[in-house]
Amino acid sequence: MKQVFVIPERCMGCRSCEIGCAVQHSKEKTLFSAVLQSPPPMKRLFVESTDAIRMPIICRHCEDAPCLRACISGCLYRDEKGFVRRRKERCIGCWTCIMVCPFGVVTRDREKHIAVKCDRCHKLDTPACVAACPTGALVLVDIDDMPKETRQRLVLAGQKGVG
Amino acid sequence: MRYLVIGRSIAGITAAKEIRTNDSLAEITVVSEEKAKAYYRPLIPFLIDREEIDIFFPDDPLEKYGVKTLHEKVTGLDVTAKEALLSSGKRLGYDRLLIATGSRAVIPEVKGFQGEGVFPLRTMDDALGIKSCAKGKKRAVVLGGGFVGTKVSAALRHIGLGVTIVERCDQVLPQRLDRGGARIVAEAIRKAGIGIVLNDSVSEVVRESGTIVSVRLSSGALIDADIVVIAAGARPNTEPFRSSGVQVGKGIRIDEALRTNLPDVYAAGDVVEYVDLVTGELSVSALWTNAEEMGRIAGRNMAGANIKYRGFLGVMNATEIMDIPVMSVGLIEPEGSGYEVVVDDAIGTYRKLVFKEDVLMGVVFVGDVAHAGIYTNLIRNRIPIGSLKEEAIRGELGYIHFVGTVPHQTFPA
Repeated sequence: MKQVFVIPERCMGCRSCEIGCAVQHSKEKTLFSAVLQSPPPMKRLFVESTDAIRMPIICRHCEDAPCLRACISGCLYRDEKGFVRRRKERCIGCWTCIMVCPFGVVTRDREKHIAVKCDRCHKLDTPACVAACPTGALVLVDIDDMPKETRQRLVLAGQKGVG
Repeated sequence: MRYLVIGRSIAGITAAKEIRTNDSLAEITVVSEEKAKAYYRPLIPFLIDREEIDIFFPDDPLEKYGVKTLHEKVTGLDVTAKEALLSSGKRLGYDRLLIATGSRAVIPEVKGFQGEGVFPLRTMDDALGIKSCAKGKKRAVVLGGGFVGTKVSAALRHIGLGVTIVERCDQVLPQRLDRGGARIVAEAIRKAGIGIVLNDSVSEVVRESGTIVSVRLSSGALIDADIVVIAAGARPNTEPFRSSGVQVGKGIRIDEALRTNLPDVYAAGDVVEYVDLVTGELSVSALWTNAEEMGRIAGRNMAGANIKYRGFLGVMNATEIMDIPVMSVGLIEPEGSGYEVVVDDAIGTYRKLVFKEDVLMGVVFVGDVAHAGIYTNLIRNRIPIGSLKEEAIRGELGYIHFVGTVPHQTFPA
C-alpha cells in the first residue's frame, strides 16, 4: 500500500502543497477558478514550523483512527483503499473528530457546518499535495519497497534529522 | 465459545465486532429491548426537526459480523447456571457475558408527570413521540439544561414552538462546561428565542382534564406549556443485575480488564463505574466515545486478550449550539490550590486552559475549536508541556511541536 511520507528537511515552507490541496478540493479544480471561488476552497494539510523544523502536517489515515472511532453520527468511515473518509451528508458538525485528532488536521467548514479532512485524493493516483511539492518533501511510497530503517528514520525525523 | 452481549448501543456493538474479529468461530448473540435497527443515539434529538436525518448505522454492523440479535428484555442473571433471564421466561446460556446496558433517563418524582405530553429523551421512540406530540403545539418546557436539554430545545424551537429551559443549577451545561463558557452559550440560546430559567425546578405539571396547560416551578412561577421534555440526566442501567451479586457503586464495578466480580461477566460503556483520568476518582461516563473504547477493550479481552483500560475523561464534550462550536475536555472548573487557570475571552471566542504545574489538565474552547485534539491528547496522556505553555495559551500549539515524539495513545497496549 502506498503511503504519503514527509521528509522535513526538504520542506522550504512554500505551501505549494496547501495550494494544490485546496485547488483539488475546489469546484472546478483549477487555480484560477479556485482563487475566485467564494467561500474559498479549504486545504486539508497544514505547513507548520518551529525554530527547529518545518513541514506539512498531514492526515495519517491512522490504523487506530481516533476520529473514526469517536464519530457519533456514522459520517467517518474507512474506504476500500484504507482511507478515512466522510459521508458528508451524515456530518452534523459536532466537532468530536476535531476534539480527538492528535494531529490537528480535521477542520471546520464554517459555511456548511461540517468537518473537513484529507480524503487522500482517492480518485487520483498521486495526491495533489505530493504532485504539487517542488522539492520532494512530500513523497508517495509503497511501504513494502521502503526499508524499515528508512521508515523509522522518517517517522523520527523531527528529533534526529534525516541524512 | 458462546458470547452474550446485553445492550445494543455503541459499547455492545463494538464489543461484538471485536469478538468476531478475534474469534472467527464465536457464537455471538446481542440482546436488546429496542426493536429498531442499531442507531446512533446522539442523533435522536435531530429526529424532531430534521426530516432528512439518517440515524441508523450505515451497514448493519451486527449483520455484517454474523451476530445474532434478539429483541428481549433481560431481567436478571443466573450466575451459577451461566444464563441470562429474559422477561419472556426464556433463559439464554453464555460462556462469556458483557453487560452494556448503558444508562436510562432520570425521571424525578413530580406531580403531573404521569399522563400524556411528558417525555424523557433517551431512545428513538422517545424522540419520535416528542415529534408527533409537538405537532400543532405552541409551548414546550424542557426540564434540564444539559446537552440533551439544549439540543431538544433547539429542535423544538426550530419547528416553531416557544421553549423554556428550566435548570436547577446556576448555569446551563452544568458539569460539562465552566461558568464562563456557559454564559456565552446561554446568551446564544436566549438570542435564538429560547427562555432559560436557572436555579429552579419543576414542581408540578398542571393539567386540565388530562391535558397539560402549564408547569409550576419550585419558585412559584407558572409557565404555559403543552408539552414537557425531561432531560434531567441519565443513570447507569444496572437494575436487571441488582440481584445477581454483581458489585455496583455509581455503576457496575469493573477491574482494569473490564471484568466484573462475577465469573466471565464483563461490563462496558455508560453502565460502568471506573476511573476518571483527570480526577483519579471513580466515576461514570455518559459519553459515546468512551463507551466505544470500553466496548473495544472488553470485546478483545473476552476473546482472550489482556488489555488494560486506563480510564476515561469524564468531560470530553464537543458540540455546536446555535452555530457556536463548543468544546470542553478534562478538568474545567478546578477547586483547591495548585492550579493555574488562564482565560482569554477578548475577541468573540472564549478559551480557558487549566494547568497543574506544566501539565495541561483541562480546556474549554467556545467559538473556535481549531487544533483542539492536540490539547485533548496532552490532557489525556498527561504529557508535560514544558516550554510550550505560552504557545498553548496563545492557541498556537500544533502537531509540529510534537513531531518525533510519541504521537498519541488511544488504545493501551
